[in-house]
Amino acid sequence: MDAPVRVLVADDEEDIRLLVCLAVRKAGCTVVAAVADGAQALRSARAEQPDLVVLDVSMPEATGLEVCTQLRADPATAGCRVLLLSAGASPDDIARGLAAGADAYLPKPFTVAGLVDEVRRLTVGTPA
Amino acid sequence: MTALAEPETTSVRSPAAAPAVRPRGRAALSAVAAVAAVGLAVLVAGPGTPVRVVAAVAAALAVAELTRRLRTQLYAATELEAQRRDLMTLGQSTAEELEVATRMMRARAQTMTSVIDAVTEQSIIGTDPDGLIRVWNPGAERMLGLPRAEVVRIRTITDFHAPEELAPDALSPADDAARFAALVQVAREHGSDVRDWTYLTADGGRLTVSVAITPRTDDDGEQAGWNFVGTDMTEARAAERLKDQFVSLISHELRTPLSSILGYLELVMDDEEQPLTAEQRQYLATVERNAQRLLRLVGDLLFTAQVDAGRLTLQPEDVDLAGIVRAAEETARVTAATRGVSVRVEVPAGGLVVRGDALRLGQACDNLVSNAVKFTPADGQVTLRLRAGWRAADGTVLDSDAPGAARVALLSVSDTGVGIPTGEQGQLFTSFFRASTARRNAVPGVGLGLTITKAITTAHGGTLDVASAEGRGTTFTLTLPL
Repeated sequence: MDAPVRVLVADDEEDIRLLVCLAVRKAGCTVVAAVADGAQALRSARAEQPDLVVLDVSMPEATGLEVCTQLRADPATAGCRVLLLSAGASPDDIARGLAAGADAYLPKPFTVAGLVDEVRRLTVGTPA
Repeated sequence: MTALAEPETTSVRSPAAAPAVRPRGRAALSAVAAVAAVGLAVLVAGPGTPVRVVAAVAAALAVAELTRRLRTQLYAATELEAQRRDLMTLGQSTAEELEVATRMMRARAQTMTSVIDAVTEQSIIGTDPDGLIRVWNPGAERMLGLPRAEVVRIRTITDFHAPEELAPDALSPADDAARFAALVQVAREHGSDVRDWTYLTADGGRLTVSVAITPRTDDDGEQAGWNFVGTDMTEARAAERLKDQFVSLISHELRTPLSSILGYLELVMDDEEQPLTAEQRQYLATVERNAQRLLRLVGDLLFTAQVDAGRLTLQPEDVDLAGIVRAAEETARVTAATRGVSVRVEVPAGGLVVRGDALRLGQACDNLVSNAVKFTPADGQVTLRLRAGWRAADGTVLDSDAPGAARVALLSVSDTGVGIPTGEQGQLFTSFFRASTARRNAVPGVGLGLTITKAITTAHGGTLDVASAEGRGTTFTLTLPL
């Protein structure tokens, strides 16, 4: 049996964090950590080496964009997939997210089904 | 020599003011005339004539000559007097004219000064061609905190501008000219320039000022300097920033709970292990519909704020409008069916492609269709029609080409609904405006849909027109350049 895909979830809104965790599990993945700010997200990512990091853009300590940039800059975490979630849905917001190194960008509010699909798409073939 | 005295007398009788020959010159002239007269008398009287007779003849001749000369002089003197009088009159009238002109100029200058001095809310600063301040009104005194006496002919306009906005590298005093050139560059190239600058006040404050810069010319049309008319926008700009922050906050703070509501609703409604009863499903569908409505409202508010801030950006691509129209009909189908309104679609079989932002054009079309359905009572009809046509310069829609007409895509949405009173049609595209027929018929909405549709259309270089009759229906016609 394949090892489960490991996912880190970071969102400062508890309700949304729980919703994202539910969607991740629905997609057949394991949530290795669910954290509420950018600094914790970075620490957990370095410690857990997840396959996918689901990041809210607007978070205390460090924004999702900053976390994403730092994950990409660190060889230990540069290879993980990053999915950004944000209330900002303008083309500029999306462009900024992708420029920070995210693999995908999902504007809020997202549908659970849409998030499940996105998580599955990003984790196809992982872990190797 | 008694006879010689006569010219003296004649001379005295000549007009007093005539430029008379000077007395010494006159005596010499008389002597020469006398000698000539004696010579002539000898010739006339003939040799051998007694001396007394010769003398008498000579005297007579001298008198005649003198009289002739004096007449000439008198004539010249009279002429001169006439000229003097003319000159005097001319001088007098010129002086009068000059005085009138001076008075008028003074009055005009006074009017200008009083007008400029009356402006206390705007700064009016005039400079010479090099930026040295020559005019400093009370508005400038108030805004920048320095009295006229301390500024005029002493300071340059660049002293009051944030240096980083004017050629940031020009820091030495020698570069004042470069800074001033940077300040007036656009006005020099385009004749005028209005934009925000940062003014530095005497007490070290910074103000955001909208400054209109225009060149000033003298009577000969030569550049005499520059005018800078400023309006303090510090508070207005701060309010705009606050509004932006508020909108961004609303965006986040409303979208986040809506994300939770919609997400958890979805989990409950799609839970296959614990299926809902029909009644529960109906209730939750109502919750979902209203959450979606709130979400659309937040989106509309955000979009309107973006348009107001001039931040509406389009992602242009080739868009088939027929597809957009069909999608709009699909979106409205359920609501229309529930209300008993039939929706008809007439689009060209081959489609109609325009250059535009598919998402925004879809939003515009959805707005028109959902409005039409919303405002049409049961058994009514909504027709979506798409075709190519022409638009004349005066805005008239034409079916065939005409001189000056532009080829356009015509998308019309007609309904048989409540209509819009003629007097209210002009306000339809204003944010938050709701027609009296909408309020009377309790049709839900906040009055942003048409504002948004109009903004999208305008951003595409198109137009949006309305034709409506109260109680009979409304047709919105959207044109987009082909």
